[in-house]
Amino acid sequence: MRANGMLELDSYRLAAYTVPSPCYICGGGNNYDAELCRHCHAPMALAHQAMTQKIHPRMIATIGPSGAGKTVYLGMLSDMLSRQDEALQLLARGAFSIRLQQHAMAALSQCEFPEKTPNEPDRWHWMHCQVLRKKKKPAELIMPDLAGESLIEEVDHPNTFPVIRAFLNKCSGILVLIDAPRAEAGDNDEDFQTMKLMTYLCELDADDPTGWKNRPLALVFTKADQCEHCFDDPAAFAKRHTPGLVQQCRERLKRYQFFAVGVAGAIGARNEPHGRVLVPLRIEPRGIVDPFRWLLDELDTMK
Amino acid sequence: MHRFLPHTVNHWLAALAALSLFAGWLTTYSTLGAAIALTTLCILAIRAPHSKLALPWSRPRQPSTPPAPEPPAPVVQSVRPPRPKKAKSGAKDSLVEQMVDQGRVALLLRPQIAANLSDIDLQKAQDALDNSMAMVPQGQVAMRPRCYEVLNGDTPDRAERLIQVEGLFLDRYAVSNAQYLEFVSGGGYEQMSLWDEALWPAVLTFVDRTGQPGPRFWENGSFPEGKEDHPVVGISWYEACAYARWAGKRLPTDAEWVKTASWPVFAEGNRPAQRRYPWGDAMDRRLANLWSSGLNTTVPVHALERGASANGVVQLVGNVWEWTSTSFGAWEPPNRKIETQTPLKSIRGGAFDSYFEMQVHSQFQSGENPLARKHNIGFRCALGFCDVVQMTDGHPAHGNDQAAQLQEVSA
Repeated sequence: MRANGMLELDSYRLAAYTVPSPCYICGGGNNYDAELCRHCHAPMALAHQAMTQKIHPRMIATIGPSGAGKTVYLGMLSDMLSRQDEALQLLARGAFSIRLQQHAMAALSQCEFPEKTPNEPDRWHWMHCQVLRKKKKPAELIMPDLAGESLIEEVDHPNTFPVIRAFLNKCSGILVLIDAPRAEAGDNDEDFQTMKLMTYLCELDADDPTGWKNRPLALVFTKADQCEHCFDDPAAFAKRHTPGLVQQCRERLKRYQFFAVGVAGAIGARNEPHGRVLVPLRIEPRGIVDPFRWLLDELDTMK
Repeated sequence: MHRFLPHTVNHWLAALAALSLFAGWLTTYSTLGAAIALTTLCILAIRAPHSKLALPWSRPRQPSTPPAPEPPAPVVQSVRPPRPKKAKSGAKDSLVEQMVDQGRVALLLRPQIAANLSDIDLQKAQDALDNSMAMVPQGQVAMRPRCYEVLNGDTPDRAERLIQVEGLFLDRYAVSNAQYLEFVSGGGYEQMSLWDEALWPAVLTFVDRTGQPGPRFWENGSFPEGKEDHPVVGISWYEACAYARWAGKRLPTDAEWVKTASWPVFAEGNRPAQRRYPWGDAMDRRLANLWSSGLNTTVPVHALERGASANGVVQLVGNVWEWTSTSFGAWEPPNRKIETQTPLKSIRGGAFDSYFEMQVHSQFQSGENPLARKHNIGFRCALGFCDVVQMTDGHPAHGNDQAAQLQEVSA
C-alpha cells in the first residue's frame, strides 16, 4: 500500500472528511467533495472559492411573486452585461454560473419564455460573478434565481425553505420584481404579495444600522412594455397601482427606488397540448441594467 | 404711310362711320350721316365680339358647370401671347416642385394627373420617384411561419407558402421626421379624408408630448432637435396609413416587404433561393443598427447604405421596425396560431434594440397593436406599378405599352 502511495491518499481523504466544509449560504457542514449543500442545496463551489481563493462575494437577491419575471430578468441581465465591452460587465465564475444565462437565452432566442423555476432548491440556478466597473475595484456577487412559489411559501410559513431565510439574511441588496400589467389591471394580489415579501424582509433583520431599513431595495416593475407609461414615471405608476407597497416602503425603508423594465416588445399566447403558453413576439430589453447599476452604487455608499 | 392705311374690314367700317358723320355735317344731312355711322358701328360691334368695346351679349358665353380645364398647352401655345404662358408655367413648376419636395411624387405620376403635366415636369417627377423608390419586380416569394426555424424539417407545420407579388416601388429609406413634418404641418391630422371614419375619435388622441397633433415623442408639433433625418417613430399603424395616403402611396404588404428583403431567385426547382438578410445570408453587425451594434438609438435613414437590399432599399433590417399592411400571424399554421388580446398588425425588420439576430432576419415577423405608438416602430411606403403612369422614351405609355413594359420589368 505504501509503495503505490494509496495510504497517503486515503489518509488525506479521511482527514478531509473529518473536517466539515461550511456552506457559504447557510453555514451548514458538508463533506469537502459535496457539489451542493446538503442543508440548503446551494452550490458548494461558493464555499470552496471563499476558502481557497479568499473571495467573499456579496449577495443580491431577486425576489417577487411567481410569474413576475425573475428568471427572464436575471438571465437577460447576465447576458447583456457579459456580451459587450461596457462600463459595467459581469464575468461568470464557475460553470454553474452560466446555466441560468444559457437556460434563459436559449428560450428567449426561440421566442419562448423559460420554464418556470422549480420549487426544489437543488434545481435552482445560482450565479456567482465578478462585476467589473470602470474606475472601481472588481466586486464579487452571488445572485440566485429563487422560485417565486417557494418564496411565498417561506413568507407564509417561515423556515419551510431555510435556504431562502439564510440567503436573504445575508443579502446586501434586493431587487423586488412586480408584474406591472397585473398591477395596472387592478390585481390587488400583486400588491399584497409584494407587501408580504417586504414585511418578511424587515422582520428578518430589524437592527437599525445593518437591518433592511438601511439596505437598498430596487422595486422593479417588469413587463412594462405592455403598459408603456410605466417607463415614463415608475414612481407615479407605483402610487397609482400599488399604493400599499408605496406606503410600506415610505414607512420602513430609507433606500429604495422604483424602476420599469421590459424584455418582450409584445406578447401573445399559444394553445399547446399541456395548456396555454405565453410567447414573446420579439425580444427588445429596456431598462434592464438601470436597477442593477443603482443597487451597485448604493452598495458602494454603504462601505 | 402704308402703316396708316386700313388693313381689315373692321378698319374700313370704322373709317366709313367717321366719314359718314363728317359728310352729313358738311352737307346738312347730318341725321342721315349719323344713321349711317351708327349702323356701321353696330356692324363693327357684331364683327368684333372679343373687343373691349363689344357689347356684353355679343361676347362668347362661358360654360357654367363644370369649369373647363385649362386649354392644353400645345394647342394654344402658338396663339397665346408669350407673357401669360410663362407666368402659368412658373406656377405649375412651383406646384410640381413643392410636391416633389414633400415626397408626394406618386400623386403627380398618377395617370390622370400625369396627362396634364408638361414633359419637363413629368421627367422631374419621374426622376424624383427613381431617386426615392426602388423597383421590386413581380414574382413569387416563399413566406415562412415564425416556427419555421424551430421545428424539424419533416414537420408539416413548417411548410412555407409561395405568394405571388405584383410589381411595385418601395421607398429606399424609411420615412424620416422631416418628411413626416410636411404631413403634420400640411394639416394631415385635420384632413379627415385621410383617416378611416371609424378611427376619427382616436385621431384626437394622436398627439405629441405637448398635446399637439403629431408623433408621440415630438414636442410642440416638431421633432427633437438634430433628428430630422432619423426615422419617424411613435406613430401608430393608422398614422402611417394616413401619411401614405397623403403621399399618394400605401403601406407595403408583408409579402412585398419580404420579397424586397429576401430577393428570391428561382434558379432550380420550385423552391426559391432567398437571402436571410438583405445583404446576404450571414449577419454582419456593421451593416445594421441592432442592439449588438451598441448605439442604443436610431440612426439617420440614409446611414448604413452598405446593408441595402439587392435593389437598393436601405435599413430593411435594423434601426426601426416597419409597419406593414398585413395582419400578424397570417403565415402561421392553424394549430400554431398565436392569440393576442387585440388583432395585431405585422411589423418587420427589427430595430436598434432588437436583441437577437435570429429575430431580425428577412422572414421574421413580429406584431404590434395598430394603435400602439412605440419608440422603435416606423414605416416606409410602397406604390404599385399599376398606380403610376409608365414612361416610354420620356412620354407616358398607355394601354398595351404599359402592360408590355411591366412584363419586361418583371422578366
